[in-house]
Amino acid sequence: MLTNKELDQFIICKKCNTLHRKIPLHQGGKALCSKCDTLIYRRDDNMIEKKLALVITTIISLVIAFQFTIISININGLERSLSLVSLFAVLVEHQQYLVGLMFLFLIVLFPLMMLSSMFFVLLFIKIKRYGYAVKRLLTLLAHIEHWNMLDIFFISLLVAMVKLFDYARIEIGISFVAFILTLGLELIITKNISFDELWRKYEKSYGDDYDREE
Amino acid sequence: MSCGENMKRVMETIMIEKSKFIRCHTCEAVNYENQEKELFCRRCHSTIHQPLYISYHRTWAFLITAIILYIPANLYPILVTKQFGVQTNSTILGGIIHLWEVGSYPIALIILVASVFVPILKFIFITYLLLSTKYNVNSSRVDKYKLFYITEAIGPWSMIDVFVVIILSVLIHFSGVQVFPGAGATSFALMVFFTMLSALSFDTKLIKKGN
Repeated sequence: MLTNKELDQFIICKKCNTLHRKIPLHQGGKALCSKCDTLIYRRDDNMIEKKLALVITTIISLVIAFQFTIISININGLERSLSLVSLFAVLVEHQQYLVGLMFLFLIVLFPLMMLSSMFFVLLFIKIKRYGYAVKRLLTLLAHIEHWNMLDIFFISLLVAMVKLFDYARIEIGISFVAFILTLGLELIITKNISFDELWRKYEKSYGDDYDREE
Repeated sequence: MSCGENMKRVMETIMIEKSKFIRCHTCEAVNYENQEKELFCRRCHSTIHQPLYISYHRTWAFLITAIILYIPANLYPILVTKQFGVQTNSTILGGIIHLWEVGSYPIALIILVASVFVPILKFIFITYLLLSTKYNVNSSRVDKYKLFYITEAIGPWSMIDVFVVIILSVLIHFSGVQVFPGAGATSFALMVFFTMLSALSFDTKLIKKGN
């Protein structure tokens, strides 16, 4: 049997479940899976600071995206605008409570939860405090990752716009730009953040039972 | 023990125990595998897997729920248009055919792929993965892992149709003309929800057991 420390020298590819031994990389280097060429891990010495800055920016732009008009249409002088408030008002008016509830969770709550827990995890690891909260938040992050559908909502928005293109004049609002910004930043964050690395940092900083022999 | 010697011992142990490791879904740590019993991660202490039969049956249950919900999702209207008191209903397939006839082929293709092909493909993939754990099917384990990965990745994209309907119902909301989601939208959203649950509850260890 190997100890935890020895097991930490290994990593399993998330796509094809092949076991790999970790090798030291130079700054900015990437390691790919030998079987399926998936990115397994990379070395980035300033990951915490970089991601913290990106996460704060993303939260701000997401709040802006939720506040103002996303798009507005004009059909022969009749105007309607789409924002989060008008969306929920219409769904309640048509009594689509279940769809509204799912929308609330998938588009509003989970992205906000994901970003804010990322913010707190990075902040707590940076200041090396509140280890218990870090562990809880990292576990939470792993679970709600799948349920963030902001990108899908944006694609649907584009589809709806193309559908309306023929008989309405479409004006793009502030939130539309904020949405693009949010999605771009979120893509950069989720592509580059390594939860394995965060867990390693967590163990190194708080090290509750790291050297325990199993 | 010197550093090099220690490494050699680690490598030898790994070679002997090659197939006995498992990846934690929550924190990605490498863990020792424990056949049939409940297993907790050494790093984050979350459950890596419950006894395998629980995962197997739970996946079946969610999958069957999703397949049942797929029927009303296609039969009931997903979009209801009210034009000066006259109500027209359109189902998913009806909407796609209408879009194709009007000439917006790219949109018709996106909706066709997202709301017809993706759910059906997911049903087929999960059923295949589940059946191949029970019966010996000749296919490589790596391919099955990839298939599962694809199933997980394409899942949420079926929600496009529901979101489009919601956005349209907000924008086209005048006194004369109104568009709103019908009963099909609710059952379709629930269907996507249950297929995602089914994919999440599928344990990749079942693939290993099947081979």
